[in-house]
Amino acid sequence: MKQAIPALILLALLAGCAEQPPKDAVIEDRAIRSSPPAVTGYPVDARPATGRPMDTPAMAAARTDGTTAPAADAARPQAGAQLIETRPLAGADAQVKPLDGTPLDGERKDEASTADVQNVIALKLKDPNSPLSKRIIHFDFDSSVIRDEFRGLLEAHAEFLKSNPDSKVILQGHTDERGSREYNLALGQRRAESVYSALSLLGVGDAQMEAVSLGEEKPLVEGHDESAWQQNRRAEILYQGE
Amino acid sequence: MSAGWPVRGWKGKITRMNLLVRFLLSLVLTLTALPSRSQMTIEIIGGASNKVPIAILPFRMQLEGGPNPGDVITTDLERSGYFRLLDSKGGVSPADTDALALSEWKSRGADAVVMGHVIPAREGRVEVRFWLYDAVRMAQLAALSYTTTPAGLRSVAHRISDLVHEKLLGEPGAYSGRIAYILKRGSRYELQVADADSQNPITVVASPEPIISPAWSPDGQKLAYVSFENRKPVVYVQNLADGQRKAVANFRGSNSAPAWSPDGRGLAVVLSKDDTSQIYLLDLQTGEARRFTRGGALDTEPLFSPDGRWLYFTSDRGGSPQIYRADIASGDVSRITFEGGYNVSPALSPDGKTLAFVHRRDGRFRIAVMDLASRQMQVLTDTTFDESPSFAANGRLLLYATLVNGRGVLATVSVDGRVRQRLSQSGDLREPAWAR
Repeated sequence: MKQAIPALILLALLAGCAEQPPKDAVIEDRAIRSSPPAVTGYPVDARPATGRPMDTPAMAAARTDGTTAPAADAARPQAGAQLIETRPLAGADAQVKPLDGTPLDGERKDEASTADVQNVIALKLKDPNSPLSKRIIHFDFDSSVIRDEFRGLLEAHAEFLKSNPDSKVILQGHTDERGSREYNLALGQRRAESVYSALSLLGVGDAQMEAVSLGEEKPLVEGHDESAWQQNRRAEILYQGE
Repeated sequence: MSAGWPVRGWKGKITRMNLLVRFLLSLVLTLTALPSRSQMTIEIIGGASNKVPIAILPFRMQLEGGPNPGDVITTDLERSGYFRLLDSKGGVSPADTDALALSEWKSRGADAVVMGHVIPAREGRVEVRFWLYDAVRMAQLAALSYTTTPAGLRSVAHRISDLVHEKLLGEPGAYSGRIAYILKRGSRYELQVADADSQNPITVVASPEPIISPAWSPDGQKLAYVSFENRKPVVYVQNLADGQRKAVANFRGSNSAPAWSPDGRGLAVVLSKDDTSQIYLLDLQTGEARRFTRGGALDTEPLFSPDGRWLYFTSDRGGSPQIYRADIASGDVSRITFEGGYNVSPALSPDGKTLAFVHRRDGRFRIAVMDLASRQMQVLTDTTFDESPSFAANGRLLLYATLVNGRGVLATVSVDGRVRQRLSQSGDLREPAWAR
């Protein structure tokens, strides 16, 4: 009876923790810095120190110098000041500089010159009754074939693009989350190109369109089941300036 | 036979109590790991059948603060799955090697003993001395001295772990390398670089848009990666020392899948500027992109062999995604994987002899390896959503990403499939790459 008690406690604990069966695994936790400093003096050089044999008694005599970089606390970018931040790994005189391309830089330049176009688009695209408000084309598993049900949607956008030759679209292809990210990027590219070809056949010029892929990186719906995957296999039409 | 245990009549109970205590302890550790935001949790699954029993004595520290290299080495070797660590908490390394009670450690079951000292050196530096003994043959296997800064103590300890591993097992360890990976926290994506044991993580890029496919330059000084900050994938190369970066492939369409040439002068990239996704060779000096693959099939995930002779890649030219390789000089292409309808994400061991990849079977994506000489394939993992395999510098361990309870974690598996570890954190970890 005495022997049974610990076993029962163990059983109860095990049942209560069925989500995380301990198996034989050793679980360790080790703290890492909760807010890692931007620069910790971690050597960029792959050889942080030099080793030498200790076979002679005159060990202290000839000292081999290591190559570890000195600690540096400099150069931490202001959080939130810019969208993208990069940080140097080490180097005392390193400075973080703003990046070459802040997002949508190119588009900002265009915005002013095509302000009137943007207004027209904004009005039309915001109208929920306009077919232009529909932007998403869904695809079957492992397919980039556009289903018939999306013909009307594509025709509406083709007409709009043809009658507004200054307007531009970016066609983004997407996949579900399964498998390789890079392979999915290529699959999403095919879906975007499929929409590109369809619009092209409807008379839209190459200069007005760009087909790109976001692969599995921007799911419409979070989730790891077929219903989520189905909604995430898609292409989206984005107008410039939106 | 361990002396001092009240064995008779109690053995069963002790075992069960031990189990309970160990379980409760691990539970407590797991729970305490939860609240803090950036705790990295490491879980070891399996291990070698014959683990080397070893005693690592805490190093004698003549220095305030800093990690004890003995602790770092203990953790390294324990995690590897190849060693059984004897309890050596009581005994600090003796001041003199003559005072090391080697025969006593042998009688306690140790095959090997490590001891060491950390001594202040000139100009604020420290000297780490360590000795490795074979307790069975009573022989010294290694005695080395390292000079470093206090901040370099941990990395010296990893290098000692590498050496101990190599001396005792006959092949190099993989403790001193660095890894890069993406951490997604909320809507923020961070490209981080950390030690191979996931300590000292440093964010080198942070963005509100996805980042994928980090790739180390051969000299370990730069990372190439794909960023989506401009509503489309663009390939960047970033210098780690100063954080400077440059968009190296920003053509019309998508730009992705960077892979360094062995000389570090160029990248293979995937571009869609002329056709659907095709592989190009990009000269980093001139910025010129030369088309390498042709045809309407989708080609991606290029990878140079270490000798620069072959370019491995994924293609659906045969109707399903499979791994191919092209002779770079002649352009001749041959198919490498045949088993199953989905083999992607090639990775090569440093000697170029073993291919790792993601293999789909029964709807599950798992890490497999193939010996390129015999073309024998072996599935190493039993999880469902494995991605992005990457070899350690010793060619004996693979790092990859997988999902556990819907969350991205990093994992390692030995190439024989026996030892596995998981590294998890709050947030999603993905896209790991081991520096060469």
